[in-house]
Amino acid sequence: MSLLRRLVVPTYLSQALTRFSCKNNVDRLFSALFLPKNAYRMVSTTTTKFDLMEFFDDKKNWGEGTVRTGRSWTKDELRLKSNTDIHKLWYILLKEKNMLLTMEQACKDESELFPNPERIDKVAESMTNLEEVVRERNRAYYLLETGTTGERPGAEEENFLGLPEYSQFNEYPVPKEENKDYLKAKSEEPVVHPSEKAWFLVRLNEKRIKQKRWERREARKGVKEIIEHFPDVDRELIKEKFPDINVERVIERTNNRHLGNIKPKTFKWNRC
Amino acid sequence: MKVEFQTPNRREYQNKKLEQGVYRFTANRPWTDEWKRQNDKARRPVVVEPIRDWNFFRGDRVEVLVGRDRGKHGIVSQVIQERNWIFVAGLNTHLRRVGSRQEGSAGFYVKSEAPLLVTNQVALVDPSDNKTTKVEWRFTEDGERVRVSLRTGRIIPLPPSGFETWDYKTPETYLEGDKDTKADVVKAVNFRPTLKTFEMEIMESMGIIEHRVPKKSYWY
Repeated sequence: MSLLRRLVVPTYLSQALTRFSCKNNVDRLFSALFLPKNAYRMVSTTTTKFDLMEFFDDKKNWGEGTVRTGRSWTKDELRLKSNTDIHKLWYILLKEKNMLLTMEQACKDESELFPNPERIDKVAESMTNLEEVVRERNRAYYLLETGTTGERPGAEEENFLGLPEYSQFNEYPVPKEENKDYLKAKSEEPVVHPSEKAWFLVRLNEKRIKQKRWERREARKGVKEIIEHFPDVDRELIKEKFPDINVERVIERTNNRHLGNIKPKTFKWNRC
Repeated sequence: MKVEFQTPNRREYQNKKLEQGVYRFTANRPWTDEWKRQNDKARRPVVVEPIRDWNFFRGDRVEVLVGRDRGKHGIVSQVIQERNWIFVAGLNTHLRRVGSRQEGSAGFYVKSEAPLLVTNQVALVDPSDNKTTKVEWRFTEDGERVRVSLRTGRIIPLPPSGFETWDYKTPETYLEGDKDTKADVVKAVNFRPTLKTFEMEIMESMGIIEHRVPKKSYWY
């Protein structure tokens, strides 16, 4: 008995079942006529398929260790399908997602293992791919008809620190000049003096230059280590992998290390 | 160690810290306890030789060029591309003690395979004459990318075990389940381009007719 796995029956599911099995109007009608119980089985007000049990997986998968599924839909596969098919597929995926999330919660409630949780990711990936294909088709239509993408507009603007920032636009019924709330919100934004802004940008630029220099130095060190460890390495490949670095110069420096640091030929103080 | 993430110093947060050390790929998988033990302390980063094409797959027949098994042929059992390593089944082995480290316990010894570098410690074997060869990737007339032996010019077929996944041994032997869409349904083409958006076509197919004209709106 201990080897048999207990079926996952969530507590709130059994409550729902008892609530739905109470006598409905049809039951009351036929019971009033004193008919035998099986005589009115053919009369049914609800179909068996469209009930709350659709939020749950097939009963045969309850308590299973693994539920095998294939991979998610790729964009190339979705591009072969008509719009109506894609529309139907969206709702199939949405129902599957709801089912999986319900089953996950049900398993959690019953302290059971939810089999193959990667199914949720597979469905999510399919849904993002599907949305992208739909947007692709709509974009093509709008570019052909109106010359714009037809998507939500946006623009890159300077923020209060003087940095460029892309933001998506919102839709309003009135133009900007007549929109009091919008103008009020704009006026309440932080204001930075231009001199302070310039001060900040100079230092930010300095930081970025230093970071870039550090990255280049690290890459040069990496090239040097590779050449030291593997003298027969494919030089052309290293040049392709590190396009910013003068590989020949690094090799020369690693080969002539006994010469020590080479002093630059001309050296002047920077006076400014 | 570099702190990658730290919770803010406020009372609504728990005091948690994620430290990012210098990790290295080893023969153990990164989610195992052995790997965690190996990466307990920060170790010097490993220098890995950059290579242009990866030629070795699980199930390939290779010849070992170094060590006590020099000249022997074997089958590739594991590939660790991050370190340019392959493991050859039953070759290049050493004895490894496993079991309790306490005094008095003898433990026992197992034969354990050591990794081999693909750059200069192993060579692929050409199946046409069972001798080592260098290979090049070329395209067949059907557009398929294949390995070609540079010595004999023969194609060295890719082993199917090199492309196993968790779900199947080979894509052809995958059994379609109840939840899977059948392959012929997926491949069927029923897209006909029309001068309509997605929404327009769905509305037409559902018989929804919209006469209302949207009011002018402003985007900013």
